[in-house]
Amino acid sequence: MSSQRQASSAAQIPHLSPAELSYLYTSLSLPNSPIRPDGRSPTQFRPLSAETNILPGTNGSARIGFADGTQAIVGVKAEVEKTVLVSDTLDVQHEAQGTGNGEGGEGSSSAVTGGHGSWVQMSIEIPGFRDDDALPVFLSEMMRESLVGSVGVKDKSGEENMAGGLKGRLVINKRWHWRLYIDVLLLSQPLSYPLPLLSLTTHLALLSTKLPKLKSKGEEDPFFDDDWAVAEYIYPRVLGVSNTLQVRPPVTLLVISVGENVIFDPTREEIAVADAVLAISVTRDNEAGSLQPLKLLSIRTIDPPSRLTQPGIPNSENVNMLGAPAPNENVAVLNPATGEEEVPGVWRPRRGGVKRSVIAGMVKTVLKKGGVGEEVLAGLEGVEVS
Amino acid sequence: MLELPTIQDTMNDRRRINGPAEGTRPPVYASHLKSGGATDRAQRQREPTDLRKIFLKTGLIPSASGSSYLEFAPSSSLANARSNPKSLIPPSSALKLSCTVHGPKPLPRSAAFSPNLVLTTHVKYAPFAARKRKGHIRDASERDLGVHLETALRGAIIAERWPKSGIDLTITILEAEDDRWWADAPDLHDASWGMMNVLAGCITAASAAIADAHIDCLDLVSGGVAALVSDDSTEDSAAAPRLMLDADPAEHRSIMAACVVAYMPARDEITELWLKGESSKIALEKGDQRSAHEALIDGAVDAARGAHSVLSEAVRETMLRAVTPL
Amino acid sequence: MAITILPPVVEDLGPYQNASDSDEDMSDNSDSDVEMGGVSLQKKRSHFDSTKLGAKFVTPGEVVHDDPQWMRGHGTYTTPLSTSIIATVAGNVVQTNKLLSVQPLRARYTPEIGDLVVGRIVEVQSRRWKVDIAAPLLAQLPLSAINLPGGILRRRTSADELQIRTFFNEGDLVIAEVQSVHQDGSASLHTRSLKYGKLRNGVFLAVTGTGGGGARSNLSKGGVDSSLAVPGSASGTGGVVRSRRQVWTLSTAHGGGEVDVVLGVNGYIHISKHADGEAAASSTTENVSINRMEELVSSSIYSSQNDEIHPQTRREIARLTQSIQVLVQSGVRVDEDTVTGAYNASLQVDLEVGDDEDEDEGREYLEGMKARRIIELVVKGN
Repeated sequence: MSSQRQASSAAQIPHLSPAELSYLYTSLSLPNSPIRPDGRSPTQFRPLSAETNILPGTNGSARIGFADGTQAIVGVKAEVEKTVLVSDTLDVQHEAQGTGNGEGGEGSSSAVTGGHGSWVQMSIEIPGFRDDDALPVFLSEMMRESLVGSVGVKDKSGEENMAGGLKGRLVINKRWHWRLYIDVLLLSQPLSYPLPLLSLTTHLALLSTKLPKLKSKGEEDPFFDDDWAVAEYIYPRVLGVSNTLQVRPPVTLLVISVGENVIFDPTREEIAVADAVLAISVTRDNEAGSLQPLKLLSIRTIDPPSRLTQPGIPNSENVNMLGAPAPNENVAVLNPATGEEEVPGVWRPRRGGVKRSVIAGMVKTVLKKGGVGEEVLAGLEGVEVS
Repeated sequence: MLELPTIQDTMNDRRRINGPAEGTRPPVYASHLKSGGATDRAQRQREPTDLRKIFLKTGLIPSASGSSYLEFAPSSSLANARSNPKSLIPPSSALKLSCTVHGPKPLPRSAAFSPNLVLTTHVKYAPFAARKRKGHIRDASERDLGVHLETALRGAIIAERWPKSGIDLTITILEAEDDRWWADAPDLHDASWGMMNVLAGCITAASAAIADAHIDCLDLVSGGVAALVSDDSTEDSAAAPRLMLDADPAEHRSIMAACVVAYMPARDEITELWLKGESSKIALEKGDQRSAHEALIDGAVDAARGAHSVLSEAVRETMLRAVTPL
Repeated sequence: MAITILPPVVEDLGPYQNASDSDEDMSDNSDSDVEMGGVSLQKKRSHFDSTKLGAKFVTPGEVVHDDPQWMRGHGTYTTPLSTSIIATVAGNVVQTNKLLSVQPLRARYTPEIGDLVVGRIVEVQSRRWKVDIAAPLLAQLPLSAINLPGGILRRRTSADELQIRTFFNEGDLVIAEVQSVHQDGSASLHTRSLKYGKLRNGVFLAVTGTGGGGARSNLSKGGVDSSLAVPGSASGTGGVVRSRRQVWTLSTAHGGGEVDVVLGVNGYIHISKHADGEAAASSTTENVSINRMEELVSSSIYSSQNDEIHPQTRREIARLTQSIQVLVQSGVRVDEDTVTGAYNASLQVDLEVGDDEDEDEGREYLEGMKARRIIELVVKGN
């Protein structure tokens, strides 16, 4: 039951005393300059160490380690599979138009270009959690949804334009496709909400993923070049094109809001006092010259554990302090962030939800030009992909 | 709580005799398709800001401490097809679900002390709810829905009023929404859009059931969906995608992005937000300065406001039924 | 830059080996491997002069000594067939008169009577609390071992039992003393002193605490190269050791005021704004009797409301927290001297770095180069 509770609230609730929660919350909600326990700036991430292509038996792999010792390893494997039209769907357009007019072939191929979301399979293994617990399921759905949700932009000139996104890239021809298995392994019990770590590692693993070069043409049964050196990256790296213009796998960032501040890469303690927790998935596409360099793929709220915390007791109501002088500073003041009356220095569990303006502010910090999303993608770009 | 043993590798339930894993759908002949009949895509007859009618009633299950039943009005094409069937295949589906709340009841002995009410949610599709049969074991999407629903409700419940107790909330989906028109091949933006409508319905129904169980909450939280749709019937790619409230995926050719919120009008707060699809790069109609994701969230909030009026009316109705002598 | 991504570290190189090594990633928790390097070095040395027992490292299964004149102590076992004493843990051999024991390098905390510990309440039972003190077993804090409110020492009543949660609740941090250690190694705590009670107004951090065991000898360990070794930093992983003062007040820079540091012997640390005993009583009349005074102070030990803490103080508390983290990650022992040293060093590093780093981003984050510099300064200072 208790593990169920932990899992379902999406983040484990650390046992913190009300006094600690109150101290943390006040420090983090200081206007303009929140004081984080580890001295980071609001948008600063903990330093990571990363490497790619560590597993020879995979099509692509990566490892990222946090300073606190938690490490994630991701292996990507690809298999060729025969495309079966799901019995549920029927290309009626194709059928109805008949095969005579040549439109039919066109129609069906466009349908196939789309690929299918179920071709990307993701599994997350977190020690201490069963694989059907809510947390791993929620995390893998969250990450898979942004992976297969990206469809790219149809570019008139380029042939390597990732039309159809990752799904489209998996199509070999009308009858065959790749199935991608993304297996995420966390090496130790997570010390903080593992989403950023898993997402960044998956990003790197996909960056380093290669598929064998196709030798057969058209609708033949697929036949591949066995030279690994000529294998192609699943996310193409076009030489001569600035890295910032190439399509990249999405990353999911964990963002919390405390008071008026927006804080990135929160530690477990910081999440424990958050007013709102959002997972925001972004990616970059090859559309040059747009005002916004990033593309938003998904937003999900995560249940903030602060709702389930232990409330603090104001001194005025503490039965053990009846002998103490009644402090007159115990006047409840209105917290503008939550709209609740609070006694300063006393922790109240959060109630209610988030204002739309707060969500907009959090998304903007990620998406804006020169914002955190861009910096994270640039940082990941700096990792050497061998 | 009792966890069913999972058989992950096969996803089969060995203790029951199951029907065929795939749906058993009558064959459709191409000649029949040509003649029209079933091939007519359901068309949205409502205005972009019109919501489907909602049937919501609470207190229908006597053994539960709170319960509700919710139904979306079938689209006009579905209603037509039902009254005047041309094909065995219904053109779209309409959400039907029931929700029960058990509790507050004491936490089991083994559970740790909790100063707050512990909420557990289970969302389960009935095996016959969707076009494709669902197994008896909850799959990933059902668990995912459960987490979303829990997030939505936790923000609304005043949990410290019920220390050391728990409630179990169970939702059975009797009829689910389609992810797209049944005859369409999955397109580029293929995603489980129907799930978002289901979630919105779950939130509204769960909120009604919690109110019916007399559990303190800040406000009745209601769910709403908005989607950016491009009905490229004219093949004019320049046409801006349109914002549709309460979009039925079966009625649209392509959904670019969609968003579901759980919203509390009294506090103007969102307790749950789930947005997916490529929204930020989509240009809205001229004159709309908002970015697409903001428009989506605003649209979903508007839809939730609509659902809220039904919700509060349904709760009030139950109350009146109780106080007025028969 | 919001994010720093570093290449993986080649673990063979120990820290502080040469200047070219300076890019090495401090953040990567390479303690254990560094440790191994140190151990193997030590082991080789020990083979050359096995007569000096004090400088000997053993691994489990290794014969410590086969002379029957020695008695076996902790961390060893004997077989009835032979006279040899065999190690059961990896660590260094300690000889006390005729007793041979092996003290593990990284031990978990084993409570001893009189230890000042910081603990977290994990469970409330009908007459006692269960407290996590980083020991293998949960410690217990009986209701009879706390100061009950009301000033005078009095017997506990059934009313106290009923409102046990109003004293300490799940998650609360307490500072307490180990009153007794049971047969099974679990501890019984008490808070019957005005110094003890609930902790508030600050932050908590957990580091390793060896409890002083094995940390006495003057060996230089892998964490720090011998030339830079801190005297007495025997515990290679750093952490809190038993020392003269576990609780003291530090006056901080930048207008942070006075800050209380509590180093629990068990490795749990609490850093908070200095609680002024008089401040609590200041609102009442000035000539309070000693008894009354006691009453006032003791009543606030069950408060869960924080005082007003200025941002400057919060900032300095954060700096102090990081200074301790830096010490722990570099395998330096944590005590009053090193903590004060590291804190002052961090101030100095900030002055040094402050000029050539124009960006304001995360300046207070101590890692990498800054951390290394702090350790150097701390080590030099000792």
